[in-house]
Amino acid sequence: MKIFHLPDLGEGLAEAEIREWYVKEGDVVTVDQPLVSMETAKAVVDVPSPYAGKIVRLHGKANEIIKTGAALISYETDEAVVDKGSVVGKLESSEKKWDDGDVIIGGAKTRTPTIKAVPAARVLASQLNVSLSDVTPTGPQGLITAQDVKQFIENKSSTPMLTGQTEGLRGVRRVMAQTMAQSHKEVVPVTIVEDVDLTDLPLKSDLTVRILRAIIVAAKEEPALNAWFDGKTLERKLFNDEIHIGLAVDSNEGLFVPVIKHAEKYDDAELRKIVDTYKQSVAARTVAASDLQGATITLSNFGMITGKYATPIIVPPAVAILGCGRSRDAVVIRDGKMVVGRIMPLSLTFDHRAVTGGEATRFLGRVIRELQK
Amino acid sequence: MAEITLVEAVNQALAYEMEANPDVIVMGEDVAKNGGVFRATVGLLDKFGKERVLDTPLAESMIAGLAVGMAAQGLKPVAEFQFMGFIYPALDEIINHASRMRNRTRGRLTCPVVFRTPFGAGIHAPEHHSESTEAYFAHTPGLRVVVPSSPSRAYGLLLASIRDPDPVIFLEPSRLYRYAKQEVKNDGKALPLDVCFTLRTGEDVTLVTWGAMVKETLAAADALNHAGISTEVIDVATIKPLDIDTILASVEKTGRCVVIHEAPLTCGVGAEIVAQVVEKALFSLKAPPERVTGFDTIVPYARLEKYYIPSEQRIIDAVNRQMEYA
Repeated sequence: MKIFHLPDLGEGLAEAEIREWYVKEGDVVTVDQPLVSMETAKAVVDVPSPYAGKIVRLHGKANEIIKTGAALISYETDEAVVDKGSVVGKLESSEKKWDDGDVIIGGAKTRTPTIKAVPAARVLASQLNVSLSDVTPTGPQGLITAQDVKQFIENKSSTPMLTGQTEGLRGVRRVMAQTMAQSHKEVVPVTIVEDVDLTDLPLKSDLTVRILRAIIVAAKEEPALNAWFDGKTLERKLFNDEIHIGLAVDSNEGLFVPVIKHAEKYDDAELRKIVDTYKQSVAARTVAASDLQGATITLSNFGMITGKYATPIIVPPAVAILGCGRSRDAVVIRDGKMVVGRIMPLSLTFDHRAVTGGEATRFLGRVIRELQK
Repeated sequence: MAEITLVEAVNQALAYEMEANPDVIVMGEDVAKNGGVFRATVGLLDKFGKERVLDTPLAESMIAGLAVGMAAQGLKPVAEFQFMGFIYPALDEIINHASRMRNRTRGRLTCPVVFRTPFGAGIHAPEHHSESTEAYFAHTPGLRVVVPSSPSRAYGLLLASIRDPDPVIFLEPSRLYRYAKQEVKNDGKALPLDVCFTLRTGEDVTLVTWGAMVKETLAAADALNHAGISTEVIDVATIKPLDIDTILASVEKTGRCVVIHEAPLTCGVGAEIVAQVVEKALFSLKAPPERVTGFDTIVPYARLEKYYIPSEQRIIDAVNRQMEYA
């Protein structure tokens, strides 16, 4: 026999009143079948049957008060009585089957290869969105270090994404690629541009030679631009009255910059002769290696081809390069009136680590005044 | 082969070994006439008589001292403490004598005693009835701490514990005593001590647990597997000595480790496991190991204890945090 005791039908209710029995003694009931309607201080509640079985006794009549925990209904059930012990408390018990799965004594034998990495490498890889399986480990016992992740990123970013047939750069072009990349890495360049009004200059005058002369004069006044600079030791070398002008000369093979050594020593005719000689030797690829070294300042007369302004690139250890754009007719203002004049655009790049803005602008101003003389 | 509960498996193992070995003695409060408050020793008095099944006074220190003396002189006492919270008066006998007998006598005597006790919360019991203080015992050299988590492991591990020549603290998760049934062959076959049991194999995260928390952990693991997170579940079973190799091999595979225990966080056995994982498998870890544990408080009474016991959801949340690390 099983006795169903009145459970607490609210929160801490001491008793409840029987309103109506839905069953009578002798009835056979199933689990969850409504047994009785009970009225508490809070509500009227239907009480479902917790057991299946035959009702042998109802412990109260309608309108009677039953204390919480007192006997309500006695059942006759088929279930064998299970002695659950004499513990103060309540154990969850069920007929559930224990699902242990396939228990392995010890560890699972299947092993997938693991990637071993120091925590910093994992964090870095996650930040840089790098898969650790792509990284080559160099640490002890195949451990990926943070440096390995950095190296992977570096290798990846310097690998050109070229497909199909490619051509490796050679000779002068290769040197250009390396020199420009190095310059880009080291130099802090600033470019200033200005137009020079050459209207009053005789048409026949030798512009290249005049520019060379202007550089010579300006360099003597602003020696900071006629100099070499070492970014590692932060040392500079001023050449003062000694001016070696590199002359950028284009060729099919690439850019050549033969150097007019001691340009300050030559008159205009001699300078023209040297320029011509260099142009020919570049075209003929006969320029001597010694002629390509030692520039203290550079002239790029790119306007002879096309282009107004540029941001010419300095080749260390030099600190300045002057670019001359294509000269052309343009409206200029003179004495408050618009007239047609002839102007040439100038672009001066200087290395701001070694040269101040004042020095550079004064230099450019001096070049312009000299060209207009 | 009968389907039995965990507490019935304990009873079955005791009966089997008492039958097989006349030196096995069962003793404790209410173990004989009453059959044990959880009925773990029911029927033993009738079968083996009052010389081998002893009702003791309510004196835990005496129970342990008596057991140590019996064990040192060749018997195999299996002493029950009614609840883990009652064990503290016996700590002197357990720590100062049982655990040291072999060392003190340079191996001349051993102390083949099993101290059984129900442990853990979840049975709506009063204070002192919900403790999980396995760390006290794991911290003591010379003690073996064994925790079954299913009827079959309760049977196999209790047999192994009784047969072991040294003292074993055998902790029975009371919350699981009648929770479910399992077919257990009464063949006297012991399971190995000092080794973990891998209950689920998986690739993404290793869940390490023992005792009653195996229930919530398996439920969480199954829910996670449904959600596409492949979990490996390890039942530590023997807490001391710890089978760290099995745990390390799993963590080196998954790269993630969550330890779940019911005992409070601070200085719990989870701290030891996480420390060893970090010391020995740091470079395989994809995420910082995490502990999901009870709180640093006295286990609350019935109405709040469900908030104390780590829930399935807390375990799932921890695993989801682990999975945030690629």
